[in-house]
Amino acid sequence: MAVHERVKEFFRNELVELQNADLFKEERYVCSPQAADIVVEYPPNAPPRRVINFCANNYLGLSTHPAVIEAAKKGLEERGFGMSSVRFICGTQDIHKELERKVSGFLGMDDTILYSSCFDANGGVFEALLGEEDALISDELNHASIIDGIRLCKAERHRYKHGDLHDLEHHLKQTQDKRFRMIVTDGAFSMDGVVAKLDEICWLAEEYDAILLVDDSHATGFIGKTGRGTHEHFDVMDRVDLITTTFGKALGGASGGCVSGKQFFIDILRQRSRPYLFSNTLSPVVVAATIKAIELLEGSTHLRDKLERNALYFRQHIRDAGFEVKDGFHPIVPIMIHDARIVQEMARSLYDEGIYVIGFFYPVVPRGAARIRVQLSAAHEIEHIDKALAAFTKIGRKLGVVK
Amino acid sequence: MAYSETAKTHYTNELKGIRSGGLFKEERFIESPQAARIKVEYPLGAAPKEVINLCANNYLGLSSHPDVLEAARKGLETRGYGMSSVRFICGTQDIHHELENKLTEFLGTEDTILFPSCMEANAAIFEVLLDKDDAMIADRLVHASIVDGMRLSKAQLYNYKHSNMEHLEEKLQETQGCRFRMIITDGVFSMDGDIAKLDVICDLAEKYNAMVMLDDSHASGFMGKRGKGTHEHCGVMGRIDAITTTLGKALGGAAGGCLSGRKELVELCRQRARPYLFSNTVPPVVVAASIRVIDLIEKSTDRRDKLEENTMFFREQMTKAGFDIREGVHPIVPVMLYNAKLAQDVARDLYAEGIYVVGFFFPVVPQGQARIRTQVSADHEREHLEKAVAAFTKVGKKYNILGKKKDEIIAMYGV
Repeated sequence: MAVHERVKEFFRNELVELQNADLFKEERYVCSPQAADIVVEYPPNAPPRRVINFCANNYLGLSTHPAVIEAAKKGLEERGFGMSSVRFICGTQDIHKELERKVSGFLGMDDTILYSSCFDANGGVFEALLGEEDALISDELNHASIIDGIRLCKAERHRYKHGDLHDLEHHLKQTQDKRFRMIVTDGAFSMDGVVAKLDEICWLAEEYDAILLVDDSHATGFIGKTGRGTHEHFDVMDRVDLITTTFGKALGGASGGCVSGKQFFIDILRQRSRPYLFSNTLSPVVVAATIKAIELLEGSTHLRDKLERNALYFRQHIRDAGFEVKDGFHPIVPIMIHDARIVQEMARSLYDEGIYVIGFFYPVVPRGAARIRVQLSAAHEIEHIDKALAAFTKIGRKLGVVK
Repeated sequence: MAYSETAKTHYTNELKGIRSGGLFKEERFIESPQAARIKVEYPLGAAPKEVINLCANNYLGLSSHPDVLEAARKGLETRGYGMSSVRFICGTQDIHHELENKLTEFLGTEDTILFPSCMEANAAIFEVLLDKDDAMIADRLVHASIVDGMRLSKAQLYNYKHSNMEHLEEKLQETQGCRFRMIITDGVFSMDGDIAKLDVICDLAEKYNAMVMLDDSHASGFMGKRGKGTHEHCGVMGRIDAITTTLGKALGGAAGGCLSGRKELVELCRQRARPYLFSNTVPPVVVAASIRVIDLIEKSTDRRDKLEENTMFFREQMTKAGFDIREGVHPIVPVMLYNAKLAQDVARDLYAEGIYVVGFFFPVVPQGQARIRTQVSADHEREHLEKAVAAFTKVGKKYNILGKKKDEIIAMYGV
């Protein structure tokens, strides 16, 4: 049989297996901008309907904020659409430098290097800074992009149990003979909405002379009193060496990411980091809009304060309704259903009630830990949240999840 | 401070080493949109100066084209700025689907999946499509992002000498025991502007039952009579299994990439490709503008035709002026200087003459192969190119390299 036939048959079977195992990911077409209310066509060719969105990373509601859109338009006019270049050939505009300065100021770091995405930042940071004489000590639940970045790095790999600082210390002790050690953790973990204990991690890093890198993609812009991130929340702003984060969630949500940190790290990354040297510069329109997003956050904490209130309100009332919720204060609120089949039925029924949420189950979360991950936004008003609470209660009762 | 002084000293010394080796990459600040003429601040703090840009991947001049800007503006208004989501949660708009269909149609394939960049497309696909029983047989000069993607795959890795078809055939014979084999090549190689021998590659693939994967980032939009890419140029449309390409060069130049090819391969990537599942969707503004870009180039071949004429003109004039340029038909025109310092000196002097080019040297190209890589665009008018040739000639005279062959240049400047 010709390769194409064999390949076709092989991959067809893989797809069928995914479908049979209920692991097939379907896409729903959103026919509107990202917002609290969106228009969705689902299933394909069904008439589009308006639903309340509780599954976007649009934490601050900036994805369609008029000031951000206005800045994007101005960016288009003044700096064009694309640069068609990597940074070091002819892809650096004055506004790229301005954004790097702004991010450094906002996060309280020496300098910042932009990437096409935080996925690329995490893909490019480890290999450029560490070699085989070094060790990486990483929380076992870190984001997939960190895992891939670590796979591309020659340093010895260690994983510590999620949030378990005794285990982290154990690995720090084990790697004393290494040239450099780097502790790697997400600031906020995306499936549980829990934050890393950065204060204690900083103590350990200092005691064992290790470098600390935090991926703050689910925190930048809203965690901490002025929204700087988990390092602000734990009052360790000057004790984290490297932060990677994204502009693709709270900070406008289009694309782009960065590494922010000590000067000499950033200088090395500019010379050696492969996604920086071999992938396009951030497009001017994204640069211009992100500058505006940061200016908005520096000007007022109104949006992050509203998000905090929304998260607390939802967390309290969903618990009162009888649902099991992971403890915390983050706008990611995992509602534990445990059973993969019920979780999917629940998401479907909630969609029929006009609430757009997604069920997460194995292999994304452990077996028996299936959940609906609700994400709050500053774009939500109390009436959006009340509607969601009512729908959850109705469907939860119908499916026997709550009494 | 968590990091030790040793760490600081180590990294500071590394930087010193890069500088003293003459390998430090400096950035120049552009204060205008990308175009044939740009305003540049260089060195840092100097008064901004207008120069002719000969080093962008803006092949079709669409990076700041008014229609593209208009489409981007409209996209912002009707579909917003960001989606703050990956594709499969709430990051798929109707226009994402529309762009995927347009690319499929344009490239003549079965289906297309978008990625935030072609770097991420290349990083993703080998791990999804191939396993340890399979073999990747790659040209030695494929792009860095393919190299990284192959590093993330469990499949066995084989390299063949650059564009050497006998060597490729040897590797195909060596790997007969593998379940699936994939031949992996750039359509156009970015440092030399040379084109993969896709017709021979497809014949070999069919003879040995291997798949063909092509990165057409330096070709999509302008190679081939209708600009579809090297597969059109080489007459092998329909015979390539997987094409990755970028929206970040000829096709508008902002961001985004894709995998386009056989339906099953694309569908499986939607289920399993890590950058697709774990990185943001392409923002609506880029999607909307890219749809317009494809419409523009489908409607008329004027821009690719002009690029072709510009390329021929510039290649002819530079050859006539006595420069040693790599032969070919591609708008990447490498001006060979062999010596790293000479390449940097010539680039600096050209900048003083108002021509923006960049010297390339080890490790980006092999030792002793230093060059200035010029790139022609449909945005260039005749007078831009004439000015560039005149400036090159003036600087070439200064360094006494006009009409000199490789050995003579090396005799004067070393490698």
